[in-house]
Amino acid sequence: MKVSQMVEALSLKVLAGESFLEREVCSGYCCDLLSRVMAKGEKGMAWITVQTHMNVVAVAALVEMACIIIPEGIEVERKVLDKAEEEGVIMLSSHLTAFELAGKLYQMGIAPVCKVVD
Amino acid sequence: MEDISLYILDLVQNSIAAAATLIEVSVIEDVQNDKLILSIKDNGQGMDSQTVKKVTDPFYTTRTTRKVGLGLALVEAAAQACGGGVYIFSQPGKGTEVKVEFKYNHIDRPPVGKIDETVAALVACNPSIDFVYTHITPVGRLRFDSREVRQRIGDLRIDHPEVVEWIREYIREGIDEISGGGGV
Repeated sequence: MKVSQMVEALSLKVLAGESFLEREVCSGYCCDLLSRVMAKGEKGMAWITVQTHMNVVAVAALVEMACIIIPEGIEVERKVLDKAEEEGVIMLSSHLTAFELAGKLYQMGIAPVCKVVD
Repeated sequence: MEDISLYILDLVQNSIAAAATLIEVSVIEDVQNDKLILSIKDNGQGMDSQTVKKVTDPFYTTRTTRKVGLGLALVEAAAQACGGGVYIFSQPGKGTEVKVEFKYNHIDRPPVGKIDETVAALVACNPSIDFVYTHITPVGRLRFDSREVRQRIGDLRIDHPEVVEWIREYIREGIDEISGGGGV
């Protein structure tokens, strides 16, 4: 599935990385402890977190996440969004909770782990 | 990271990368002032003031293999989220001290974790480096100094499994004593 299809299906708001939405999503993860995400994260992952610190952009860039989804309509600072744009990190936002987002993504067929490792 | 001991494990790597030969770690549980203070002090190469300003930026690293460095960035975010912060004192050629403060009773403050295993692992994995570990609580004080252990074990290597196990036990019992036996 492409990020753009996910944005469309869940009515997500694109906060940063508009020009990268054709990127492929192959797995999903939901966690707010960044060190754990660094260990578990993988390329092509859609990551749901309530954290909006600059560090989330660094983690997503490091493991080449497909996108970050911020739940509950939490606002993200401009400088974080600018950095995300600069690093090619897609940041999306939703009014749903992390629980609801994860449930919907799972129903749409997003797996906990990528099936094909490249 | 889930607990303070994991931050220690991570931050000590910075001291090792800075070619330190003596690394002093302390955890102070200043319950009266609602503070938990972690300090890591080394005699490594140190940093100039320009570098000190950049080290908590997640997009700053001395690594050449990648452009992201999250060690100090993560610990700073965790400390700030718990009403504290990170303070760095460094001098080129002298060494660096990283001080991390958390509000002791903050609901998100990570637990101290398995300090005994952490210190034992640090000694076992870096036998050429000396470590001092100090832990202070309202009940008392624990001090471990690998230089004293070296003197007592004679020809035995400090990374010998039995020595490492003794170190782990010493620290575990010491911490149990100063936390009233209830652990931390």
